[in-house]
Amino acid sequence: MTVFTRTTKNLILKIDEFFDNIELGLLVFKEGIKSYLLNDMEAFAIHIQKIESLESNADRLQRSIENEMITHSILPQHRAEVSSLIEELDEIIDSMKGSLNEFNIEMPDIPSSLNNNLINITEFSVSAAEELIPAARAYFKSPHTVREKLLKVYYYESETDTFSRSTRKIIFQDMKELDLAHKAHLRYIIHHIERISDLAQEAADLLSAMAIKIVM
Amino acid sequence: MILFFLTSGLFLGWSLGANDASNIFGSAVCSRIVTFRKAAVIASVFVILGAVIQGGGTSQTLGKLGSVNALGGSFTLALVSAVTVYIMTKFALPVSTTQAIVGAIIGWNFFTGNQTDGKTLTQIVLTWISGPVIGAAFAILLFMVLRRFKRSAQIHLIRFESYIRNGLIVVGAFGAYSLGANNIANVMGVFVPAFNLQEIDIGLFSLSSSQQLFLLGGLAIAFGIITYSKRVMETVGSSIIELSSEAALVVVLAQALVLFIFSSSGLSSILTSIGLPPIPMVPISSSQVIIGCVIGIGLYKGARNINFKILGEIAGGWLATPVLSGLLTFFSLFFMKNIFSLNVGYKTDTRAPDDLNNIIATGAASDMSDIIKYLLLGLLITGTLVIIFFYFLDRKKQFELRKSEEKFWKNIK
Repeated sequence: MTVFTRTTKNLILKIDEFFDNIELGLLVFKEGIKSYLLNDMEAFAIHIQKIESLESNADRLQRSIENEMITHSILPQHRAEVSSLIEELDEIIDSMKGSLNEFNIEMPDIPSSLNNNLINITEFSVSAAEELIPAARAYFKSPHTVREKLLKVYYYESETDTFSRSTRKIIFQDMKELDLAHKAHLRYIIHHIERISDLAQEAADLLSAMAIKIVM
Repeated sequence: MILFFLTSGLFLGWSLGANDASNIFGSAVCSRIVTFRKAAVIASVFVILGAVIQGGGTSQTLGKLGSVNALGGSFTLALVSAVTVYIMTKFALPVSTTQAIVGAIIGWNFFTGNQTDGKTLTQIVLTWISGPVIGAAFAILLFMVLRRFKRSAQIHLIRFESYIRNGLIVVGAFGAYSLGANNIANVMGVFVPAFNLQEIDIGLFSLSSSQQLFLLGGLAIAFGIITYSKRVMETVGSSIIELSSEAALVVVLAQALVLFIFSSSGLSSILTSIGLPPIPMVPISSSQVIIGCVIGIGLYKGARNINFKILGEIAGGWLATPVLSGLLTFFSLFFMKNIFSLNVGYKTDTRAPDDLNNIIATGAASDMSDIIKYLLLGLLITGTLVIIFFYFLDRKKQFELRKSEEKFWKNIK
C-alpha cells in the first residue's frame, strides 16, 4: 500500500513537472524569437541554452513517466492515451528547440518591417500551446472541463493561420525587393513558428477524445 | 471410502473455483491492476474463510429442500450437478451450479419419495430472479455515488486509479468471502446431513462437522482458483474488462453485497428483530448477479439497447438446468441403487434419526476429523512460509527494478 502511495505521488509530481517544463519552454521560445528579432544575440544564446535544458529534462521525464506507468501497471485503461498526450506535448518542445536552433544556424535575414508580424505569429502560436497545458492538467483532475478549455487552443490556432497567411502574402506580393530564395527562406521560418500551434491543435484533438472517453 | 464419496463434491468445488473466481478478480487481473498470483492468494484465503465462518445458512436452506441422508446419494447428486454444469458449458448454455444442485435435490426427493418443500423451492426460485435485479439496483446506486464523489472531490486521475486499485483488492477479498459463504452450499450442502464428524477443537477456535466439510469444500474451491481460474479469466474476463475501472469495482462490490446479503444469517436476524421479513439464505449464481450488475450500469449510462437475448438465456437457464439435473439425478440414483447396490437415501420419516447417524462408522468419522486437523495445521504452516517467501521475492524484484532504473539514467547521462 505504501509502495502504491509513493509511486502515485512520484508520478503525479513528474507529470506536473513535465507540464511545467512545456510551459516554461513556451515562454523561453517566445522570448528567444523576440531577442533574435531585436538582434540581442547574447539573450538569444541564453534562451537556446535554456530550451535545450528544458527539452532534455522533458525527455527524461517523459521516459520516466512511461516507465513507471508500465512497471507499476498504473492507469492500465488510459495508459496508451496518456503516453500519446505526453508524446505530443514533448513534440511541441522538440519543435521549439529545433526552431530556435535553425534560427541560430541559418541566421535568417528578417526585414525589420516584418518584426511585428513575426512577433504576432509567435504570440498566437505560443498562446495556442499555452492554453493546451491547463486543459491537459484538467484532464487529470476535472475531465468534464477539458473541452471548454480547449476552445481557446482552436481559436489561437486559427488566428495563427490567419496572421501567417497575411504575412506570407506580404512577403510574396508586396516585398518585391526580396529575391525568391529569401522569400522561400522566410516562408520556411514562418512555417516553423506556425507548426507549434498545429502541434497544439493535434494534441487538443487527442485530449478532447480522451476527455470524452473518461467522462462517459 | 468417505474421501471417495467426497470426491464428487470436491470436483464440483474445483469447477466452482475455476469458473467463479473470474467474476471477482477477472477484470482486475485482465487489466493487470492485480497480478494473478496476488488475486489467487487473496481469493483462496477469503473463499475458505467465508465458507467456514458463514457457510451454514445457505446449506440449511438446501437441507430444507431435501435432506440427503446417505453418502451414496450425496455423492451421486454432486456428481450429477458437476456433469450437468459440464454438459451445459460444453453446449455454451448459461449454467449455474446452484440451479444444477437444486434440480439434483428435487430429483433425489422424487426418487426417494420425499416431499419437496414448495415454500423453500419458491423462495429459492424467487431469489434467483431477485438476485440479479438487486445486483442491478446496487450497481446503479454505487456507480452514482462513486461518480458524484469523483466529480466533486476532483481527485487526480492517477490517485483515483490507485484508490480503485486498492479498492478492487479489498472488494475482491469481500467478494471471495461472500462467494465462499453463499456458494459453499452448492459444493458441500448435500453432504452435510449425511456426515457426522467429530468436532475439532484447536484452542483458538473449534470446527463443527459441517464446518469441517465446508473447509474441505473451500479448499477445493481454492484449488480450482489457483489451478484453472487464470485460463477462465483470460477467456471470459474480456467481457468485464471493457468496463471502466470504477465500473469494474462497482460491479464486483454489488455482486459481493448481493451474495453476502443472501448468506448472512446475522443480517437476517437484525431485520426480523425490527419487524421486517427475514432474508432467505439461498445460494445464488454469482455469474447471473454479475450480468445483472453490468446491465444496471448500462441502464445508468443511458443504454437503450439491452441485450434481451442474454436475459432470455438466463431465464432459460433457470428452467433448463434444474430440469436436466433433476432428470439425470433420478436416472443416476436408479443405476447407483440397482446396479452398484449403493445406499442412496431413504424417505425421511421411515428411519429413525439414530439409524441415520449410523450410516457413517464412528471410527471412520474420527479418522476423517484427524486428517482435517493435520491438514489445517499443514495449511497454516505452508501458508505462512509461502507469504514469507513471496514477501522477500517481491522485495528483491523491487530492488532489482530500482537498480536497473538507476543504471539506465546513469548511462544516459
